[in-house]
Amino acid sequence: MKAKAVEKLVLGMISTITVLVVALLITILAVLFVKGYPALHSGFLFEESRDFGRAGGVLYQSAGTLILMITAVLLSLPVALGSVLYQTEYLSSGKLKTFLMQLTYILNATPTILFGLVGYLFFGVYLDAGVSWVTGSLILAVMILPTLQVSIREAVEGLPEKYREAGMVLGLTRSAQIYRIILPQCFYGIVTGIFLGLARVAGETAAIMFTATTFSGIQLPQSYSDPVPTLQTHILILAQEAVNPESLAQAWGAGLVLIGLVFMLTLVAWAFRTRMVMESEL
Amino acid sequence: MKLSYKKNFSNCFSGQAHLEPLAWIFALMNLIFVTGAMGLGVFLLVQSLPIMKAEGLDFWLGENWWVGETYGALSMIVGSLMVTALAVTLALPIALSAALYTSEYLSPSLRRGVKGVMELLAGVPGIIYGLLGISFLAVTVKESFNLLYGNTLFTAGCLLAIMILPTVLTLAEDALHAVPIEYREVAEGLGLSKLQTALRVVVPQASSGIVGAILLGIGKAMGETIAVLMVVGSLDRIPGWNLFVSGQTIPSKLGREAAEALGSGLHWSALMGLGLTLFFMVSILTYSGTRFTEWSRR
Repeated sequence: MKAKAVEKLVLGMISTITVLVVALLITILAVLFVKGYPALHSGFLFEESRDFGRAGGVLYQSAGTLILMITAVLLSLPVALGSVLYQTEYLSSGKLKTFLMQLTYILNATPTILFGLVGYLFFGVYLDAGVSWVTGSLILAVMILPTLQVSIREAVEGLPEKYREAGMVLGLTRSAQIYRIILPQCFYGIVTGIFLGLARVAGETAAIMFTATTFSGIQLPQSYSDPVPTLQTHILILAQEAVNPESLAQAWGAGLVLIGLVFMLTLVAWAFRTRMVMESEL
Repeated sequence: MKLSYKKNFSNCFSGQAHLEPLAWIFALMNLIFVTGAMGLGVFLLVQSLPIMKAEGLDFWLGENWWVGETYGALSMIVGSLMVTALAVTLALPIALSAALYTSEYLSPSLRRGVKGVMELLAGVPGIIYGLLGISFLAVTVKESFNLLYGNTLFTAGCLLAIMILPTVLTLAEDALHAVPIEYREVAEGLGLSKLQTALRVVVPQASSGIVGAILLGIGKAMGETIAVLMVVGSLDRIPGWNLFVSGQTIPSKLGREAAEALGSGLHWSALMGLGLTLFFMVSILTYSGTRFTEWSRR
């Protein structure tokens, strides 16, 4: 009897905790929406920010975030794809494979501010790109390498063995196998990686705040050495003036736009991942 | 590792692959990846040599960080450890009990729902948590503990706890859920209750995966920059045992001062030294974390 009572008690406790956790996290999302929604007047996405961000919209900030996202992924994708295919298709030493995997994991967990520090020195100072969107994109490209690699690797390694065997029987060279079989079959995995990478870049602040961005006065970059404004740093600066209610309201608005962007990208990534799993089960 | 590249060609390319141009392109891409990843560590090391020479061990043991005079990182290191420890203490019991309940008791569709929410939240940007922290958590802490200033180590620890909760929860749940169903059936067949089965059979089986999840969570908390920077108060001092004062962590210090020191001088080298310290701390956690996770998969 007593054991049953204890069991009931423990069960009650952990179920309450679970409900509370889910409730807390849903509350966070609700707060973001409630706080951000009032700032989203009809032109919020299509107006310049005025009065040091206290009024107007986030047109150029959004543009800056998009520029960084797209360039970073374009730079990162060939390296991620090439390195994964090399590791899975060509490399035969098991030890080297494990080492490279560990390298991916460590890179994935490295605090993002360190990418900013080292990246600024390398791209900004040594390659003379300065504080600019190019420096920022290069830094972010290195940062998301592991994200892309993990997704692509998952897809390549999940490929049924019979596909490769069919290719070999047909006498395809390894290169032909790659672009006739592996790349088309892993399409959904690669797209998943791209969208997860985009989401990660969209949410990143620490790595770009002193390497790629500026607060106001700049619109679209005119050359490769111009900095851009971004949503992330826009929020950071407005939030630090938290005493000013107008700034804070604008920060919430920008926050809602940012989180909307990140969630949308993540959900698209998941949709492609589900597609990938379904295909591989055929 | 490097040696085997040169010494043994057949390690790098299997079969006749070295005759294909595509293989060389891929190898080049892999080389870029390896250079990028290793370059990060090497750069941090080389760039922090000047400060190591100037300060020696005092860099880690000194308490005073006065730009232009002396650089001691102890208050940042202590701050980082305290904030991380608080976050883990708060998040761990909650995350693990919720993971156990989600994995063992929830119906498959509810479980997918919880996992979905957690994975979505694990991707919420640090800047958003910072905004929430500055507008709600800091105010709450200030009012409920009667402080003059709400930006304290305690605030940062609580915020980090919320931030790592989804990550630890979902990874630990993966580990629990991966325990084969047969174990549960056998245990329940022997007359153990569902909770006994969960605690005595499933948890021990999943233990290495759970440890891995915890280590990865700690690493994430330790490296978080932007959210901590916004609520920690950014004051370099050793807080003693009082959590309700402003403090500084390694990443928040880097975030505050990197823009001033950009690229040159002993100040920059000192920041790189801090970065190197952080890199080591996080890499060790990550390495052991992934090792545990791999071990549990086998």
